[in-house]
Formats: sequence, structure tokens, C-alpha cells
Amino acid sequence: MRTLLKNGRILDPSQNLDTVASLLLEDDQVLGFGPEADSAEVDETYDCTGMWVCPGLVDPHVHLREPGGEEKETIVTGTQAAAAGGYTTICCMPNTNPPLDNPALIDFILDRAASPESGGVFVAPVGALTRGMRGEELADLAAMKRAGIVAASDEAFPIQSSLIMTQAMEFCVQLDLPIMAHCEDTNLTKGGSMNEGAISAMLGLKGIPRSAEEIAVVRNCLLSLHTGCQLHIMRVSTWGAVEMVRQAKFLGAPVTCEICPMHFAFVEDHIGEFDTRFKIQPPLRTQVDIDLLVQALADGTIDCIASDHSPHASHEVDVPFDEAPFGSAQLESAVGVTLTLLTHKGILSPLETINKLSTKPAQILRLDAGTLKPGETPVAQVCVIDPNCEWVFDRHKTFSKSKNTPFEGMQMKGKAMLTFSGSEIYRDALFSDTRYKIS
Amino acid sequence: MARHLLGIRHLDKDQIEDLLSLSADFKLRVIEGKPVPKVDKVVVGMLFFENSTRTRVSFEQAAYYLGMKTANFSASSSSMSKGETLKDTILTLRYERLNGLVMRHRMSGTPTLAARHFGGPVINAGDGQHEHPTQALGDALTIIERKGDLDGLIVAIVGDVEHSRVARSNAWLLSKMGAEVRFVGPRTLIPPHSAMLPGSVYYDLATGIANADVIICLRLQKERMSEGMLSSVGEYAAMYQVNRETLKYASPDCLVMHPGPLNRGIEVDDYSADGEQSAIHSQIENGVFVRMASLYWAFTENRESETI
Repeated sequence: MRTLLKNGRILDPSQNLDTVASLLLEDDQVLGFGPEADSAEVDETYDCTGMWVCPGLVDPHVHLREPGGEEKETIVTGTQAAAAGGYTTICCMPNTNPPLDNPALIDFILDRAASPESGGVFVAPVGALTRGMRGEELADLAAMKRAGIVAASDEAFPIQSSLIMTQAMEFCVQLDLPIMAHCEDTNLTKGGSMNEGAISAMLGLKGIPRSAEEIAVVRNCLLSLHTGCQLHIMRVSTWGAVEMVRQAKFLGAPVTCEICPMHFAFVEDHIGEFDTRFKIQPPLRTQVDIDLLVQALADGTIDCIASDHSPHASHEVDVPFDEAPFGSAQLESAVGVTLTLLTHKGILSPLETINKLSTKPAQILRLDAGTLKPGETPVAQVCVIDPNCEWVFDRHKTFSKSKNTPFEGMQMKGKAMLTFSGSEIYRDALFSDTRYKIS
Repeated sequence: MARHLLGIRHLDKDQIEDLLSLSADFKLRVIEGKPVPKVDKVVVGMLFFENSTRTRVSFEQAAYYLGMKTANFSASSSSMSKGETLKDTILTLRYERLNGLVMRHRMSGTPTLAARHFGGPVINAGDGQHEHPTQALGDALTIIERKGDLDGLIVAIVGDVEHSRVARSNAWLLSKMGAEVRFVGPRTLIPPHSAMLPGSVYYDLATGIANADVIICLRLQKERMSEGMLSSVGEYAAMYQVNRETLKYASPDCLVMHPGPLNRGIEVDDYSADGEQSAIHSQIENGVFVRMASLYWAFTENRESETI
């Protein structure tokens, strides 16, 4: 079985490749690209003229909610949403109920992800750093690593004790396991629901100060510097946090960081009259932050873009702002938002866009993903994006169980059209039938 | 015919003027025993999710004058304590055919949520640290009675501005009506980013109330001490109490106001609370008339205003 992705713009940051050519797949593997591919006998052809053909996208930060939060999302619906968003590999977070703090639960996740009804994407679990994510005793990290975790994190319950964090880092150095850290000094954020600023003062909502994030970034960066533990900082939101990461990198700490689309798409003002769709942790900040975050994305200080897909059930978000949970569904909007707000505005080149959405996160977490090189991924992982597809985001057309999204109704330019993980796992309704031929 | 009163921030000057003149007219009619226009066949739900005696009584009294029926609902006796969401409570009241809601809640923005799901008018009787519009209207009516006009006055709001919905509603109303608003208090109790609040900030009492025509004192909650925002009640009183001595910095006929309940000896002393300059009792009395006006205004948007 040979499949030709014909005449697309092949963007593969792992090979620094940006060229118009056809990509040939044989069975579930990438065979190659170039003139030989064009003249090969094939069974099916996807005409990708005008589209990008790139490594399947890699999302380092997804909440699949299973086990325990099945009313928000399941592994089945979450992986389907990922496939529709162009992703072929996603990292799922451990703050489930119970938390992913032991190897049995990691087995469970991997089994569910591999089941036929799931979306066909690779799920790389992130294990809890401490037992029960209580920040007190280390979880069974070695056993979980054997079971398949790619990193450890206490995610939404960041470790407050510098001592525990130091020990966690020492242990993870030994296990060669990256730590992903949501950075928050919870003393400063207690009761807070949005950025501490002019809007919170006006709305009478308790603010979350930027220093709460920056203090934790500094501490974690320093501990990474001194222990040598690989640290990935999740969803930076302030210019100060990014400056701290820049310093840490300058000093030689093995630190990387991510941004999520919410933090370059929206500012605190979007909360308007208590709109809970814009409640996120860390909170939406200001235009000054966006301007500097976007610069840091362009100069590489921010390494990658993570969706921070945080699905919730509708009844959970139609509540008083203080009671609403943080986060919203993101997997199916991330490509559109990134291309619309960054690529088409000239902030990221197409190649750099794919680097941030695929190759770089795969490198950071050492995943067999983010490349079109034959044989470097278990199966061919390819995403075809139409960068010029203009569409309006409609939450009723998404695969995610969660329909709470701040992007509802947003005019977007750029959409994932096809996703391959071994074989086609997603084809968008906007991908014209005339572009697909069986020979 | 739903017109909500969610906050003063959302009103323009004309709407505020309408509400204030309606209030003054109702006051005159009630005091002179003249007939008051009735808003009949209306049942208003009194949803007090947070304890309040004075505001609830004031609304009940206002509704009584207007011929409205009230249905009481308090959090402890409600299904909220059985885990029902606020939205479902609001929908229940909607389908029980209540015509309007007066609502108090400890969380900011809850009347906005209620207004989205309830068919008829929603009047905010205080939400978290956001707004308390009828308190501001009552205060404005009181100031107008004593000073004639709001335009050009200097009004100092003294105390725990950060946690005060009264401060926010008053600041919006007074600034929209042309008064100069000053927030006065310690750095820990003034919002650190006050750019979107309509007033200037003073950390020193003497400077903040210099030449003020009105001082609105705010109640100091005892938990501010345990939260580490203040060292002691004594230190606060020494720095920010409006009393016989400190009143000398303000204009000689400066009004002293307070939304209650008073902490005598903390934010005010007996001289400022009970003396000639105090307008505290008028605030309470006028509260009833502005709540009449608010209820009437909310229910009569598309009605012919009935012979007023």
C-alpha cells in the first residue's frame, strides 16, 4: 500500500527542510520525498498543492481527564480531538482522579490509548512527581518510567517545598526523566481567579499576581541549574517569567518552556463581564506581556507551543467566576490560532511554526515524533495543514467532549486537514473530495 | 421588560439622574402621604445568599410601598445547601414565575450570571467586592440633599477600598456625576492597580481628606488583621480614623458618611458618627427610596410611567 501526499510544501524542522515536493508513504512508514516519489506507483493520492506537509504535531500538555473526569473528557474523545487538531503525539497530565502516581495507572492509560476506538494518536503519559500530588513524598518514579512515562509533574498542584523539589530533581537526574513544572507560589494565589491588575480591581475579583508565577519560575530554574535536572516550564504567561527563563538558559540550566495559545490570543480585558471561558491558570495578562512573549517565541526563549487542553463539562463553567475551574478545550483550535495570530502576522515562519508545534516539543521530551525522517518514528506521523483555509471556529463541530472554548466564533486562517499516524486517522470535511484519488 | 441594575459602572449619567430624581420624588410622596405609583402583580424574589438585615429590610420596605409582593429566599434554607448550582436555583425561580430578583451574594459577578438565566429584571443588592449600586444611589441622594449637587464636590472614600463593593459603586456614581473621587487608605487595602477605578489614590489621611466635601468611611473587617494586611486595629485607627481631630483637615461643612454597620472607635469616633456633620441616618432612610426607584425603574422600562 503506497500513499502519495502530492505536491505539498514539506516542512520538516528536524531536517531543516522547506521545499515543495511529494511525500511517499509505504504501508505505515515514510518512504521519502522527491522526484522518485512523484514517479512511484501508488495506491492513493492526496493532492496537497498549496498545503503544508509536516511531521504530526506534538502536544506536551494535554488533560485527558481519565480516570475520574469522564464527564469532561475521555481518552477516546480526547485523542479524537487531538487527531482533528493535527496532533499525532500528546502528553497527558497526571492530575486525574486518582492521580497518575503509580505504574498500574500508566498501564491503564496506555491500554486505553491503544484501543481501536481511540483517535489513533500516541499518548505519552506524564506521571505525578509526588504521591497523590500532595507535594510530600516522591511517587514511584522509576517504576513509572519503566511503565512508559516521559516526564514527571505535579501539574496543577505545584510543589511548594523547595526541599521536596530539590529531592525530586536529584532523583529525576538519576532516572534521566524531565520534570514539567507549572510555576505558582500558592501562598500568593490563594482565592485568586484572574490577573491581579486594573481589571480585577474593577470587577472586585481577587487577583493572581505575576510575582506568584515568577517566584516559582526563578526557584525552579535555580534548582535545575544546581541539580542539573532537565526542567520544562509549563505555560509561561508574564514577560518577567520569560526573562527569568532567558537568564536561566544563559547560565546554562537545562531549562525549556512552553506557551499556550490562550496567552498570546487574549488579555485580562477579555474576561469582560465575568466570562468564565477566559479563566485560566496562570491567568490572562496584558498586552505588554503578549508583545514580549511573542518576541520570546520568535527568538527561541520560548521553545514550543502547548495547547494546555483543559476540558470541563458545561455545567462546571456556567457558575460564579470564583467557582469556575481553570482552563478550556484547546486541541482543535491550537493550529488555527497559532497560524492566524503568529504565522500569518510574520512572527513565526512556517518552518518555525512547525518546529514549535512538533519537532521542538518532541526533542524536549525525547519522543519518537516530530520528524518525517524515515524510520525515526514508530509509524509515519504526518500532518497536512492548509495554511490559507479560512474558517470560523464552531464548538459544536468538535470531537472534544468539552464545549467550553473562548475561541467560539473566531475567524481563523489555517486548519489541520489530514492527520496520519501509520494510516489516515483524520480527514477534515473541508478537504475537498477532488483532492483524493484511488489509483 | 427586563431592565437590570447590576452595577453603577454600567449606567450612564442620564440613567443615574433618572434614578435619583425618581428617588427624590418617591421620598416626597411617602413623607407627604401622597399616593405612590404601584407596580402591581409583581412578585420579587429576595435572594440573600449572604446575611444582610438592613439591605433586605430596606428592599422589603421599598417593595411594600410599591405594592409588590416579595418572596424570601435565604441560602441556609435553600437547595443551595443541598448542592444545587446557582444557575439551577435561578432557573427554578424563573419557572416559578417570579417577576424579578433582588440578589446578594458573596461572590463578584453573580447577579450577571443570574441575569443571563432569569427572564425578568435582576437588581444587585451587593455582589462580593464588585458593586452595591443601591447603596451608592442612597449615598448620592443624601449628598444631593445636603450639598445641592454632586458636580464639583471632593469626595474621599476612606478605608478598605480593596474589599469594598460600596467603594466601587460610589466611585463610579460620583465620578460619572462630576465629583472628584479620592481613595484613601493603607497600601495593603487599596487595589495595587487602580487605573480602571475612577479616583485618585492617597495613602495619607490628612492629604486625602484635605478640603473634602464628603468623607465616606468604610467598615474595617477584623479578618484583615489575621490576613496580615494590618498590624492592629489600634494602628489603623491612629492612621485612618475620621474623628474630631482629623475632620479638621476636611472642609468645615464636610459630611461624614458610613454604609454601616459602624465600628465605633475604629473607622469613626462618636463625634464624627453622631455629630452635626454625620449623614449616616439619612443614608439609611434614603436607602428605602432609592430601592423603590430601582425596583420601579427595573420593572417599568417599557411601561407607560404610571402618572407620576
